[in-house]
Amino acid sequence: MPTISSKNKPKNIVLIGNPNTGKSTLFNSLTGLNQKIGNFPGVTVDKKTGSFNYKGTKINVVDLPGTYSLAPNSEDERVAKNYIENTNKDDLIIVVVDATNLKRNLLLFSQIIDLDKQVLLVLNMMDLLQKNKQEINFDKLSKSLNCPIIPINAILNKGINQLKEAVYNYKENKNSFLINNSSKTIDETMLRINKINKIVDDVFTENGKNKSYLLTKKIDNIVTHKVYGYLIFFGILLFIFQAIFSWASYPMDLIDNGFSLLCDYVSTLLPEGIANDLIVNGILAGLGGIVIFVPQIAILFAFITILEDTGYMSRVSFLMDRILRQFGLNGKSVIPLLSSTACAIPAIMGARTIANYKERLITIMVAPLISCSARIPVYTILIALIVSEDESYGIFNLQGLLVMGLYLLGFVTALLSAWVMKLIIKSKEKSTFTLEMPVYRAPRWKNVGFEILSKVKVFLFDAGKIIIAISIILWVLSSYAPGNKFEEINEKYSNSSLDKSETNVLIASDKLEASYAGIIGKTIEPAIEPLGFDWKIGISLVTSFAAREVFVGTMATLYSVGDADNTLSIREKMMAATNHKTGEKIYTKATTFSLLIFYVFAMQCMATLAIVYRETNSIKWPVIQVVYMGALAYLSSLLVYSIFS
Amino acid sequence: MTLDQLPENKTGIIKQINDKNLAIQLLAMGFILGGEVKIERIAPLKDPILITSGTNYISIRKSDAKNIDINPDL
Repeated sequence: MPTISSKNKPKNIVLIGNPNTGKSTLFNSLTGLNQKIGNFPGVTVDKKTGSFNYKGTKINVVDLPGTYSLAPNSEDERVAKNYIENTNKDDLIIVVVDATNLKRNLLLFSQIIDLDKQVLLVLNMMDLLQKNKQEINFDKLSKSLNCPIIPINAILNKGINQLKEAVYNYKENKNSFLINNSSKTIDETMLRINKINKIVDDVFTENGKNKSYLLTKKIDNIVTHKVYGYLIFFGILLFIFQAIFSWASYPMDLIDNGFSLLCDYVSTLLPEGIANDLIVNGILAGLGGIVIFVPQIAILFAFITILEDTGYMSRVSFLMDRILRQFGLNGKSVIPLLSSTACAIPAIMGARTIANYKERLITIMVAPLISCSARIPVYTILIALIVSEDESYGIFNLQGLLVMGLYLLGFVTALLSAWVMKLIIKSKEKSTFTLEMPVYRAPRWKNVGFEILSKVKVFLFDAGKIIIAISIILWVLSSYAPGNKFEEINEKYSNSSLDKSETNVLIASDKLEASYAGIIGKTIEPAIEPLGFDWKIGISLVTSFAAREVFVGTMATLYSVGDADNTLSIREKMMAATNHKTGEKIYTKATTFSLLIFYVFAMQCMATLAIVYRETNSIKWPVIQVVYMGALAYLSSLLVYSIFS
Repeated sequence: MTLDQLPENKTGIIKQINDKNLAIQLLAMGFILGGEVKIERIAPLKDPILITSGTNYISIRKSDAKNIDINPDL
């Protein structure tokens, strides 16, 4: 009987392998939910770590980015190489290989063996091997390589226990692969490959055609076709946007109603006063504003993960490379640009697979122009102010068309900005597009689930922290004023002839104007007045700099100060808002369009700027980004406002 | 002859790769010296191209294909 004892020292294992070998699936099988994503020191490549317990021993697992060899070609591969070279002597390296493609996969294995590391070889995708009627003589292979071998099927969870047992029982083993180290990398690599090919030919038998490979080529005939290829791609895009707006609306309504019930409940539960006000109008209002995006973000990340997981994304990159190259981008920019519709942060991190520095930089610089999910609620609420839900143009819903138009505007501007940057930024580095086309396969739903979970978690907790902090600060700023301004206002209305509720509304709006938040808004009002914005919008522009979605929360906080009973929706409150100088409606067509355009272009996301700073390792690029996107936003809003007013 | 001149669906043998970084990358992706290479498909806009060697299947730009010397199969 295994007993749990503390004398067992924890073991460290590292997973490494070629891209598309099912390494992440294995990592998920080993660690389950017991994992976290961090960063490697100095670079922002995801470092996935986790752990599991086996027979009382804690085993820590690190999952490295996929790499073809230890001669790195991209930031991703450099990280894997450095990590392997600096592992401790007793760390166990698990090289995961695709059993159906041993010849290519074993090159990396042979290079790691020769770094004098402890290695265990895992053959994954055993199901495909059988399907392709291929066989491997494991004993012979293990003897030729002088290394233990564990065949597994990570998707079906087969062989995982055997692998854990092998890790647990691993005995140190002195090994080397190629003794004659040539000084020339190409010659040395060819020597390795020739030796590997000889070994594999001896243990690998094929009894028929490789079916999955043939099917893949048939699918590619359609998917990369000069007409159907592009049609399918745009069809998929249309479907994704449709899904984000229609499917997500049901859970979003549920969350919305749930939060207003919760707010009502909490406000009756707590005694009236500062604490009640802070929790209901500050924290809960801000929290509700972020939780409501979770369905849309989950759907968007689900689609993006599925497109990548099936192998389709590589084909889109192939189709788009020639076009994107005109704009200083790369076929590989497709993934960052598409994921930007969810969030610019993972998108900018995803740009690290682009080997050429200039193309990578341009991708990073323009990605935030693509409308992200944080803009969705801003667009939704503003569009609802000018177009009613059932207005349509032909068969198309007018609100949907407008949203689509804003997305297109962002996308086109991103391409044009990229083109301008291509002319400005100088680089002599060669640009390449060498990308593997993986065999098509069904999406691994477990991976999709893990991906959604981790992305939603990052969104809720990382973005959530900022939003709640801002909500609280904003509540404080709008609830207090310098000196005894509030007392003066109370006094002013003490003899009012109006009825009590009307007086309260007047008192509240006067107080907001006198508050610290009001002072900030008034200070910037002259600068934004030409765009049609008043001081309340000014406050939300300032708070939106933390993250765009804060706009809705800010509106909710600013306008609920005048509505103590919480009876009206934010939209209704905004509709009713009037200018404090002229008394005219604030959200006219001109102002609303101007504000929409401002949100399409302006760089209002601190988290993205922080990522850009880390990725480019320079303060220069995030600063340029704020300036160029800000100028774009200001000038376009100015233009739009003067056209419509 | 270089790889970019090979028509769709034709094969050849890789003789030499005249760019060290490209060579190291291609070797690791399964395109080895003395190995067979086939032009699987040329993109709708004439560039890049999809090439295969055995079951290894990648896309590559024409500018890189120019650096790959081949012996075409007739």
